[in-house]
Amino acid sequence: MVTEPAAMSALPGSGRVEQLAQAVAERVVNMVMDAIDIDALLERIDIDAVVSRVDVDGLIDRVDVEKIVERVDVKKIVDRIDIDALVEQTELGTIIARSTSGVASEVLDVIRAQGVGLDDFFARWVNRLLRRSSHDLPFGPPTLVGLHPARAELTAGGGG
Amino acid sequence: MVTASAAPPIEGRQGHYAGAVSRLVAFAADVGASWGLFTLGAAALAFTIQLVTGTNFSLTRHQIASLVAAVVWEFVYFAYQWALSGKTIGMAVLGIRVVRTDGSPIGARQAVVRTLTLPLSFLLLGLGFIGILTSRDRHALHDRLAGTAVVYSWDARAARLRWLARQDGSAST
Repeated sequence: MVTEPAAMSALPGSGRVEQLAQAVAERVVNMVMDAIDIDALLERIDIDAVVSRVDVDGLIDRVDVEKIVERVDVKKIVDRIDIDALVEQTELGTIIARSTSGVASEVLDVIRAQGVGLDDFFARWVNRLLRRSSHDLPFGPPTLVGLHPARAELTAGGGG
Repeated sequence: MVTASAAPPIEGRQGHYAGAVSRLVAFAADVGASWGLFTLGAAALAFTIQLVTGTNFSLTRHQIASLVAAVVWEFVYFAYQWALSGKTIGMAVLGIRVVRTDGSPIGARQAVVRTLTLPLSFLLLGLGFIGILTSRDRHALHDRLAGTAVVYSWDARAARLRWLARQDGSAST
């Protein structure tokens, strides 16, 4: 008949027996650990043989790369790259200059940048006139820029 | 060493709502481009008719026909380009494009509705365009009617790299 541990501990004197067994076990384990020469043990282990038994292909097959890639925030990583330093310290600048040194692209960049600058200038003034903060406005369509922080907070807070 | 000889292009705006100035300049460029192409087409047509029939032909002498041709051409110019790629020549120059309000590419139906309702924004004494400045999502009247939005589509990060490279190149020479 198998006795439940709880039932065993309910028997008279069983608490002392358990304590004794625990003390004996601890003592034995310590003695064994002291007796083992870990270095000698490791020397006897053929690491190459162990590694050769590992099925690396099987291991890789079990890794869900797609899931890992999904969890990586590429934008965050790119944002952390100091582009200025990268271009200054490497040959990247020369490579880019060689590949896209056309006058047309330079003119387009200037026109577009000026346009965005003027857009921002007028938007700032209109926001001041309308007494609203640009931080409360959506940046763009949801699928292109994601949820706006203010809206995300509202959604998370169950607000309208 | 990167010098501050000119302001670097603005980063990280791809997909953001485009502002009034970019849209206005793009539209002005489109008006110029469409009229230029229309004039070229009319001249080519007159030349061909003269070559084939031997008679002088000019669209200016057929005012109603030229008006109808101009209206049809403007419709085709805008609707076709918006349906094809979401951007016209002027928009491509300014780096902006038309998308649906959710950000997905527009279809032929939205392109046609947007083209047909664009004149409404003018006919209301230009008030249809005020929304680009005042509304939260920078929608003009024709955007609201067609269910579209205009966003920046140019890669400002690549532009910044080009700018840095140019600065680097000019500093090293």
